[in-house]
Amino acid sequence: MLRKLFTPLEKIKAPFNLYIILFWLIMVLFTWFLLTSGQKHLIPSPAQVFTGFGELMSEGLVTHIGSSLSLCFQSVLFSIIVSLIIVYLSPLPALKPLASMISKFRYLPLTGITYYFTVFFHTARGMQIAVLVVFMSTFFITSLLAVIKDIPDEEFDHARTLKCNRWETLWEVIIKGRLDYVFDVLRQNLAIVWMMIVTVESILVAEGGLGVLIKNNDKFMNHGKIFALQIVILILGLLIDVFLNFCRKSLFRYSKF
Amino acid sequence: MSYIVKDTILYVENLSVAYDGKVIIKDINITEKDVHRETVTTGQVIAVLGRSGRGKSTLFKALTGLVKPATGQVLIRDIKNSTEMDIKAKQVEEGDVGFVDQKYTLFRHKTIYQALKFALRKSSLSEKEKEDKINKYIQEWGLEKVRNQYPNELSGGQRQRTAIIEQIFSSGSYMILDEPFSGLDVGNVEDVKRSIHKIGADHTLNTVIFSTHDIELAVSLADSIYVIGYPTINGKMEHYGTVVGHFDLKAMQLAWKDFDAGHLQLVEQIKKLMLSS
Ligand SMILES: Nc1ncnc2c1ncn2[C@@H]1O[C@H](COP(=O)(O)OP(=O)(O)OP(=O)(O)O)[C@@H](O)[C@H]1O
Ligand SMILES: [Mg+2]
Repeated sequence: MLRKLFTPLEKIKAPFNLYIILFWLIMVLFTWFLLTSGQKHLIPSPAQVFTGFGELMSEGLVTHIGSSLSLCFQSVLFSIIVSLIIVYLSPLPALKPLASMISKFRYLPLTGITYYFTVFFHTARGMQIAVLVVFMSTFFITSLLAVIKDIPDEEFDHARTLKCNRWETLWEVIIKGRLDYVFDVLRQNLAIVWMMIVTVESILVAEGGLGVLIKNNDKFMNHGKIFALQIVILILGLLIDVFLNFCRKSLFRYSKF
Repeated sequence: MSYIVKDTILYVENLSVAYDGKVIIKDINITEKDVHRETVTTGQVIAVLGRSGRGKSTLFKALTGLVKPATGQVLIRDIKNSTEMDIKAKQVEEGDVGFVDQKYTLFRHKTIYQALKFALRKSSLSEKEKEDKINKYIQEWGLEKVRNQYPNELSGGQRQRTAIIEQIFSSGSYMILDEPFSGLDVGNVEDVKRSIHKIGADHTLNTVIFSTHDIELAVSLADSIYVIGYPTINGKMEHYGTVVGHFDLKAMQLAWKDFDAGHLQLVEQIKKLMLSS
């Protein structure tokens, strides 16, 4: 058994693979306790994090989470619509450079550009959404372009042999045929989206949200609270990840990856 | 086995195809005529043989209008606008010729039923007639149990049969199958052989072209065989594919009958030809 655990590519059967995961979870928690058991320690102890969590709750953590999720939802929705339109039109030779150009803009830093948005948007929320839509779109477009590029030629040829004209081919093969991938593109970019949201919230603090909480607590070096917040953000991100995967698999039965 | 040949049904003239300037196939000339036999409806079954990479699939893409030839042309019968007396030809366009590729590609987001429905979308049949036609084929081709499954829930053989029916529904009399026998079990091979016969027996103009690496199978099934290979010109082997041999099994008295010594001899002859090209 022990040898199996250290054999490359070996498959471990049903309950035991969970035991391995459990083992590692316990190890992480144990190390955490161990590292923070002495008088002086760099990272906050579980007890401190727990107290921090309690304080956060009384500071309105739930409202802030709600604010962040609502910002996330709105900006992702707008952004994916904009991205899809641009990407679905990219097979037109005349519009092709547009998509690949926007995709390149993802190398622009977020800070420093936000100033230009203040000129156009007067509410903080409007501005947050605008900034996020612009930056997220560069990532979404990049991933969506890769999805299209990966479609094998045979699929286009197959549509053409069935008398599909070019627009029908675009509709059937690229749009309908890869709709499930849109959910996966969202999921894959979630980490960066989530990070952007927290950053944007901490730049434009007026609307609250998890980013504001982090920023404020960072100033006061309250490590227990900061750690608690990080854990909350991590778990929220993971939950959205699971949710998007669930959506994809239940909406598209054939989507098996 | 008396038969007569009537008018030309497929005419390929000086065809060449190049990818990024590299010539893949060249100087391809093919003429196939409509075959008629007394009492039996007989379509044309044409096999294309050749070693790997000689350009069989490339030839098929040109024959189906999926790639534009660098030179030459592919003419097929313009069945819609032809009459018995006045037969018209046309340049092949995408959609004219049914094509099932080597990988049995289907729409990944359509079940068998939805795919067949889509293939019939341009037909003039009523909804009821379409429904009946789909059900008839699904039944006949043994897809009843999997009619509501998606391609990635199907076996290779089931995918392939779906791809063939799709093309029967959508295109007219011409059908090209690229390696329809690869990756199938003995039962499936019989199924596909039967379906090729079935297409032929449906209409005298029906023309099936297929490629295979199984020479015996080609010889037993086809009534005309083309071998694609690298030609040897002035003692030097060129590196583009062309027709290095054509065998008219009808004229050789080998078509439409059981495998015998004559077939075996032809297999040996073709094998030699393939090895030297
Ligand atoms: N899209 C392409 N671009 C460039 N070269 C190609 C392309 N498709 C095929 N080729 C080349 O053309 C040649 C013929 O390929 P093709 O697929 O027609 O061979 P084939 O006879 O069908 O082989 P097989 O029996 O293995 O299927 C090969 O050398 C291949 O590398
Ligand atoms: Mg091939």
